[in-house]
Amino acid sequence: MTAHRDGLPEDKVEMTMMVHALVDGELDAATALAVERRIAADPELAAEHARVAALRVAVNKLPKPQPSKAFLDRIQAIGGTDIQQAPQGSVLPFRMPSSQPRTERSRWGWSARSATFDWRALAASIAITAVVASGATQWVMTGTSDDFAAAVASGHRRSLLAANPVDVVSSDRHTVKPWLDGRLGMSPPAPDLIKEGFALVGGRVEVVDGQPIPALVYRHNEHLITLVAQPRKGGEATNPVDRSADGFSMVSWSDRAFAYWAITDMERSGLDEFVTRFRAAAAI
Amino acid sequence: MLNGEAQARFSQVVTPHLGDALALARWLTGSAADAEDVVQDACMKAYAGIGGYAGGNARAWLLTIVRNASYTWLARNRPRDIVAVGDLNDLDDMSAAHRDQPPESESPEASLIAKADIAALEAAIVALPEPFRETLVLRDINGLSYREIAVMLDVPMGTVMSRLARARGQLMSDLGRAR
Repeated sequence: MTAHRDGLPEDKVEMTMMVHALVDGELDAATALAVERRIAADPELAAEHARVAALRVAVNKLPKPQPSKAFLDRIQAIGGTDIQQAPQGSVLPFRMPSSQPRTERSRWGWSARSATFDWRALAASIAITAVVASGATQWVMTGTSDDFAAAVASGHRRSLLAANPVDVVSSDRHTVKPWLDGRLGMSPPAPDLIKEGFALVGGRVEVVDGQPIPALVYRHNEHLITLVAQPRKGGEATNPVDRSADGFSMVSWSDRAFAYWAITDMERSGLDEFVTRFRAAAAI
Repeated sequence: MLNGEAQARFSQVVTPHLGDALALARWLTGSAADAEDVVQDACMKAYAGIGGYAGGNARAWLLTIVRNASYTWLARNRPRDIVAVGDLNDLDDMSAAHRDQPPESESPEASLIAKADIAALEAAIVALPEPFRETLVLRDINGLSYREIAVMLDVPMGTVMSRLARARGQLMSDLGRAR
């Protein structure tokens, strides 16, 4: 092969990639021109160029999936709800009548039809389906802090089902805290308790009552613990209160800066140990 | 971010790209019905994370979330289909080894490729090894740039180019064979 002095690769495979890049419009004008010159002088490259262009013609004939009306409704129910009609204060995601049919598809139907449910309810409906499927009973709660507990629970369940339980993956508190600070302007204590058997997995932002609040995720053996920290303006510290229900263990307590809600599918005793360790580490 | 603001942003950023999201999820999971569930899951993540969307290509942003959701879905539903990272590197080595093979004596004809029917093309795409299929779909079906794909897959741009050339080579050889 004679050497070209156009700065393009001499290697045939690499030159083939340049032909692909030309078809893809990835080359600047000067490089594109040089590649075209090579193609003009080399029948093999010219054949490759023709094939790549032909493949593009073929691929463009593939039908593009169009979102169906039903699917669009499902998606728009996530973000498109008219907030004017949404109830003020807490949305109780679990206020679903038990007679509600829960076939595979209808679970989305009510979310899309009913303007009073926002995306959190939609998210929670997945959790409900999972819980119902597992034979557990519904989690019905009333009262302000219980609404909050239900929302925290739904967030935890959603995270177990969602793509990733955390939005920032890190066992390093020096990563998690600034990440939360950057998004929310605050962050709770985030001690890594790995020596105690509770590894910090990362953090995420939960939305409860329309307010974004920080959540930390810890792992203990195969179990995830979600720790939601609701900022508060002073007030007395409170000791842990058991809020377990429905197969999940939940404990809430508070210090002067945050009200904490820890939820997991572990045994209560395991969660109690986590709470003790966390409080000890956070108090330092 | 206020709720209404987030919702407006979500509709604006996510809705135009749902077709692309479904296409990617469909090719990664292998099923149109599963793709809807995966995309819905991804959209919930996208809504929750809309505050972190810093502008730029909204399609690439959404597709990154869809890709993650697809693999999470696959890990849960079809653990055996997942290609581990180690395997992926082997695959790149393998594709490098293929470079040294002489070209096939009968080169596929461009006219046959252009006339390939949809079923044959779909079958050929399905048959691609996963990293090649993913790169091909992101470029040729979703229309992302090399750089956007490199960022999404966290690989060098050269790897994107080599996977793409290899994926297309495979398709062209499948479709160009006279039947």
